[in-house]
Amino acid sequence: MSRDLTLNINGETYEFTIGRKLGQIPESETLLETLRERIGLTGSKMSCGQGACGCCAVLMDGKAVASCITLTAECEGKEIITIEGLGDPVTGELDPIQEAFLEHNAFQCGFCTPGIIIAVKSLLNGNPNPSEDEIKEALSGNYCRCISHYQVIEAVKSVLEGGKTA
Amino acid sequence: MKNFEHINAESFEAATRGLTSYKNARPIAGGTDLVGALKEKILPDYPEAVINLKTIPGAAYIHDEGDEITVGALTKLRDVEEADAFKGELKAVAEAAHSVATPIVRNAATIGGNLCQDVRCWYYRYPDSVGGRLVCARKGGDQCYAVQGRNQYHSIMGGMKAGKTPCTLECPAGTDIPAYMEKIRENDWDGAAEIIMEANPMPMLTSRVCPHTCQSACNQCAYGDSVSIHSVERALGDYILDHAQQFYQAPSETTGKKAAIVGGGPAGLTAAYYLRKAGHQVTVYEKMEEAGGVLMYGIPEYRLPKHYVRDLVKALAGMGILFKTSTEIGKDLSLEQVKEANDTVFLDTGAWKQPILGFDGENLTQFGLNFLVEVKQFMSRQIGREVLVCGGGNVAMDVALTAVRLGAQKVKLVCLEQREDMPASAEEIARAQEEGVEIFNGWGLKQVLTDGDGKVTGLKSVKCVSVIDKDGHFNPVYSDETQVFDSDCIILATGQKVDTDFLGDKYKEELKNAKGLIQVGEHKDTRAPGIYAGGDAASGPSVAIKAIRDGGIAARSMSRYMGFPLEERTRKKGFLKFDPEKVGITAACTEKDTPAGLRSLEREDSDSLTAQEAKEEAGRCMNCGCYSVNASDMANVMVALDAVVKTTAHEFRAEEFFGNMDAAGILEPGELVTAIAIPKFAGYRTGYLKMRLREAIDFAVTALAYAYKEENGVITDARLVAGGIAPIPVRLTEAEKMMIGKEKSKELAEAAFAQAMKDAVPMRENSYKLQELKTQLVRSLEL
Repeated sequence: MSRDLTLNINGETYEFTIGRKLGQIPESETLLETLRERIGLTGSKMSCGQGACGCCAVLMDGKAVASCITLTAECEGKEIITIEGLGDPVTGELDPIQEAFLEHNAFQCGFCTPGIIIAVKSLLNGNPNPSEDEIKEALSGNYCRCISHYQVIEAVKSVLEGGKTA
Repeated sequence: MKNFEHINAESFEAATRGLTSYKNARPIAGGTDLVGALKEKILPDYPEAVINLKTIPGAAYIHDEGDEITVGALTKLRDVEEADAFKGELKAVAEAAHSVATPIVRNAATIGGNLCQDVRCWYYRYPDSVGGRLVCARKGGDQCYAVQGRNQYHSIMGGMKAGKTPCTLECPAGTDIPAYMEKIRENDWDGAAEIIMEANPMPMLTSRVCPHTCQSACNQCAYGDSVSIHSVERALGDYILDHAQQFYQAPSETTGKKAAIVGGGPAGLTAAYYLRKAGHQVTVYEKMEEAGGVLMYGIPEYRLPKHYVRDLVKALAGMGILFKTSTEIGKDLSLEQVKEANDTVFLDTGAWKQPILGFDGENLTQFGLNFLVEVKQFMSRQIGREVLVCGGGNVAMDVALTAVRLGAQKVKLVCLEQREDMPASAEEIARAQEEGVEIFNGWGLKQVLTDGDGKVTGLKSVKCVSVIDKDGHFNPVYSDETQVFDSDCIILATGQKVDTDFLGDKYKEELKNAKGLIQVGEHKDTRAPGIYAGGDAASGPSVAIKAIRDGGIAARSMSRYMGFPLEERTRKKGFLKFDPEKVGITAACTEKDTPAGLRSLEREDSDSLTAQEAKEEAGRCMNCGCYSVNASDMANVMVALDAVVKTTAHEFRAEEFFGNMDAAGILEPGELVTAIAIPKFAGYRTGYLKMRLREAIDFAVTALAYAYKEENGVITDARLVAGGIAPIPVRLTEAEKMMIGKEKSKELAEAAFAQAMKDAVPMRENSYKLQELKTQLVRSLEL
């Protein structure tokens, strides 16, 4: 039994069908698998696979969720934004958060950085002027093994101070 | 992830229909718990289908209903923590929601999913891909690995039963073994006696004769010796008999109904006990001089001294049960006469007849059961010099050992089965060998050999290559190989048959089945209304404990038939407890055997454990169950705030709903949580404290949900619920009682804590949780 699935990712519309045939999306496929392996959006990373580390975070209707424990079959009608979708698709200009991370070297290996930036974006969507505690709390679901946290907080604060919130 | 069907539900009704239309389907809400569990395949049953509840319109909401706030089950935890409704007096709700996992998880997770989420125990969650999942007690397996393993995040209040324990399942009578072990650990022998006698009114006998297969199922076998259940049972049985007047009391009220028991074996005596206890007038008809059946006549004195049987019968007579001994039904009285004089009749006539195997010279052999019954006469006669016992069961072992002790020079035993398949218990086989019985496995009976005078000289045997066929039926296959075993006395212990002649013409055809047994249904009812049967007469030769179960079932059925249904006893609910130190002891304490050379026919081979020894051994019982802690933070708050959990079929008080380890324990198949109604708690100060190692993602080590009403620093009402300390949220009722009416202070909180935790039983690695909870209790007062 097949059913249609329309995904809205980074402003693009993707038409799939859910089913067991070649090329169809199986019911158990996660959004992270669809993004990385079908659409080629490899910015979101697979790490713990349990929703605990935040590396796979994407925005769903403006809020960060763990794409590794989200079933693609349940994303119909959702607006999904990945790290690739933050910048301007025409000019290639980065999101101010991304710029701030570059400026503050707020990463080392960079593996967890897309998830952290998504979490920051999610925070600022709901709370444009968070306190430092609120920033820390909003990022408490993003793990970094290189200890980039200090620079991350500096970077986020710089976005607020610069008044360039998205 | 392994695939499954996926259905978007349009309504709760449709979701319920979807769930029940599959053998195994699971609902999915936020999916933050379920998807991880499916990925790791932590559960033995993988769902065929997943039913998505997120597509149900209007299932996510927070409504102010005046005196309560209702929250739709599909409401995201993020929305709960940010809701204005939970900013004031109900801030405990927002604090608990905020404490769950991480912001990323809370953006997807729902309140309904949180309330129904699965346990987080690290043994339970062990991934299947790394050496295979652990099938712990909670998953339908046998044991809780935390009892002997790492347990710093487990319960400090004890565990909960996760189904029946393997020992109980193994016991034909279904004895709640861990429950009486727990009572003995508490030195409550009367309580232990009460529990064991719910299933078995004669533990002083069964402990001595039972093959106690319960021990082979004991989870201690994985670490060392099984708990020596029969040794503890024996000490308890002796205690019961020593206090017979207390445990075998005449009923305070009588019903005026009459029950007759035909045959005073273990089934008959058991039925008599329960029927008399229920107030019926009970008469036992026994054809032998004394009641007790096989226990009286078929088990040698050295295994079961007869004074125990006599004392039990005396105790039963003391309850007002009438014993008519030397009275044979079918001869002295007909079954019709018995039936006419009584409202119900129970038949327990046993299996005493010698089966005819049909080999040459069979008439020259002796029947093992007769040999045991008449052992006293044998003692005055000369037993053969070379005795050959045929059979591989416990009767054969009894016969062989009795022959040794009667002075036979050589005792050999042949049986069809190979050693590991012999029906006799391992201890009995070992004992026989220890006393010089030579066992030959895999031989069948062919012909008795005689000399010119007709005197027995030996047995010609034929090699048996298999006993049980592929359908599991007894169907021995022989080869051509033969062997002669020299013997001047051959005793057959190759089974016993049921004699139904006593039924008489009226009942014989009606009650008998094709196997020659009395036909009974699951309630031990026969085809004749009011007549019940059990024990060997109904099931063929088996063990005493199985007969005891039959007697118990029959007594319940008979009492119901007579218009007095017996109430099922419900045991006081409480957490399971075990002794964290003694469960680590690997060696069992069992009875001390008399040295082989000193054993005799007249004296019991071993002495019972002392009460102290039995208590120590009971300490090794792991009280198997689940010793995890509840995972849901929201559940703690819901119990504290006396919320109502609404489902597609019911409304539950939170305390009742979360009194189960799993929502599945209270919900019907397909039943779904739809909403939660939280009373407003006007004038209260509520909150939620959670201690964990890392502020995000970790589950509570301990948590405290509180609601206080205070006037000028005096607590006028308190509701306190602790999480992370037991398999379910624990209401700290004792602490509440102590605090109400008192001025709040650190000392008061500490005293309340001590009172509430007086029954705590931390495991080896988690007593630190007590300190955490104490601190939380102090902090909750916001001094």
